[in-house]
Amino acid sequence: MKKHVFPLLVIGVALLTAAAPAATGRDLTDVGYIDQSAIAALPAYVNVSRQLAAYKAQLDRQYAAAIRNARTSQQRQQVGAQFSQRFNAEQRSLAGPSFMRAQLAIASVASTRSLSVVVDKRIIIYGGQDITRDVVRLLQGSQSILPLGTAPPPSEVGYVDQTALANSPQVKAASQQMAAYAERERQIYGQQFARAGSDTAKQQQIAAAYNTAMSDEQNQVLKPVVDHAQAVTAQIAQRKGLLLIIDHADILFGGTDITTDVQNALNK
Amino acid sequence: MLALCSLGPTLSGCSRFDVNSPQIRGIAYVRVDDVVRHDPMYPQLSHIDDAIAMVDLAGAGPRVPHSAAEIAREDARIRTEVAAARARTQQIVTTKQREYAAREQAAVAAALSAAGVRNASNVAATMGHVSLQQQGAAVQQAGRDYAAFQQSVVSQSNDAARGIVRQLQQQANEKLQAKAMQEQQRETNLSLQLSQQDAAKRLSIQTKLSMLALDNATRRQLQAQLAAMTRRENDVLSAQRAADRREFTAYRATVMAQTNQQMQAQVSSIRTETQAKLVARRSIVGAQLRGLAGPASVPHLTPATQAQIRRIAQQFQQQYQTDIQGVLSEYAQNAYALEAQYAALHGADAAASGATAQEVAVLQQRRQALYDQIVGQVEREAQRLAKEKGFRVVFSNVTAAPGGYDMTNELIHDIESEHE
Repeated sequence: MKKHVFPLLVIGVALLTAAAPAATGRDLTDVGYIDQSAIAALPAYVNVSRQLAAYKAQLDRQYAAAIRNARTSQQRQQVGAQFSQRFNAEQRSLAGPSFMRAQLAIASVASTRSLSVVVDKRIIIYGGQDITRDVVRLLQGSQSILPLGTAPPPSEVGYVDQTALANSPQVKAASQQMAAYAERERQIYGQQFARAGSDTAKQQQIAAAYNTAMSDEQNQVLKPVVDHAQAVTAQIAQRKGLLLIIDHADILFGGTDITTDVQNALNK
Repeated sequence: MLALCSLGPTLSGCSRFDVNSPQIRGIAYVRVDDVVRHDPMYPQLSHIDDAIAMVDLAGAGPRVPHSAAEIAREDARIRTEVAAARARTQQIVTTKQREYAAREQAAVAAALSAAGVRNASNVAATMGHVSLQQQGAAVQQAGRDYAAFQQSVVSQSNDAARGIVRQLQQQANEKLQAKAMQEQQRETNLSLQLSQQDAAKRLSIQTKLSMLALDNATRRQLQAQLAAMTRRENDVLSAQRAADRREFTAYRATVMAQTNQQMQAQVSSIRTETQAKLVARRSIVGAQLRGLAGPASVPHLTPATQAQIRRIAQQFQQQYQTDIQGVLSEYAQNAYALEAQYAALHGADAAASGATAQEVAVLQQRRQALYDQIVGQVEREAQRLAKEKGFRVVFSNVTAAPGGYDMTNELIHDIESEHE
């Protein structure tokens, strides 16, 4: 009886392989990941980080002086925006070249290892290829890293820029509603808390009730909007033949960007 | 077995799916936050969340960080008060100047009249007018110089005080964080120790409970034993937590008291130094004003009359300076107090919002450490499951997933069964 098992298995596997669509031919060993803290610990990046921190400290002092003279909330916003722009410009100028070199190194290693997508280590629980050491080695070398001549291969992993989605009218309105609610409830529960005096048990009850109220409001106001955005994202991903969608911040190389499609669908 | 498997993929070991199907392709994902909510250590996380809310609500009272609108209102009030104090001082100085000038003029006129000068009042008025103009201009200039000096010294003093406050706060924060971590570790160790202690007994009861031929009374008794065991573990843990909280509160009070004492001592020393600088400057300004020339000289007066007029002018100037010193000093005190209020409003004062923010930061760090520990356990369990089922990659916290395999429910089931 045992004799028949092997040929049957072979036939079964052959049938499965033949029936699978072309996309499944490439398995998920083409997912790579990097421990970004290892790159950040390289002397060149530590140096950039120090320079940026020093610039920020200097900017913080100037900001503190400027915000003192801003009387209205509009003026405060303007001051905030100005300083933010200044910091971003300095960041681009200081960190831009190092960032570009890191991008090229990641792309180069990804190409050598035939990876279609490289993500941050934090979102990988199991499997995938750790390319941290290769990228670090390349970055430590003195030679220039040339850009790839070809685009990354198509991947089943897509991504959306969550910060861009946060600017959609529904998400903005829900966030504002939540912020107003939080401010109001904080005052109400704060007064109750003050009236509780030194009764710790009562204070604990009030704090727990406050957390429950916030959580309930979040479920009522924010969750439906987030669920809707996720459903729309999933529909678009399915249409494009993607299996998973992750946040743009976790993608380091490759992947399919569906942010614009999701934004358009949400704004309809 | 078939019936059990039909309950769905939540029961481990019943893989009704094909890991390599086109919809999965070896990929799985875990909604980590959902699994965390079912971890036995999750109540500890909620406990910390409530503690954070308590600190936040305690700060929502009168001594709390102001809202933007409140800051703007307070800001406007302080600015108005500073401007009013300046205007009031200016008015007092001008009035006193006129008053002393009139008295000086009357004294000079009397002296001139006694010396036989005709139209003594007119001559004295002319002399006084010239003297008043000179003095007025000098006082105004001195006032402006003094105000600029005061602003610069107070601003330097506030910067220095802010620097010291920041440094001391950071030191206190580090001490509190170390203490919080130590207590967190103690609670976690105890939690694990308790569940290990009872594991064998619990397993034995669970095994008995899974036997079908068990009468209702025995079943209830066994369930009661299980419940009592859980209650006892929770009680021990709660007692430890309460003791830790008391210890932390006492420790925090000591650290905060020490820090505040150090802050007050250092800030007070800076402010004393600043006051000394301001007093010294006032003396210099006073000396400069006292050194001003006397009234314009009038020809054809005897040297004795001229000397008498100079004495009169000197005497009135001295009296005026002494009088005006008090006014300037009062203004300086007011302005300094208002500057301090302004600095406090914008977060420079440690006692106001600093302590609340510091406490929240310590609790948040404690929460993060516990959360990381729970996530670590979830990930280890997910890795075991992934290996067992033959997945190639497992992601955490995906934004959306039209494909792949969701391992969340299986993990929740595994974690719950392990601790039941």
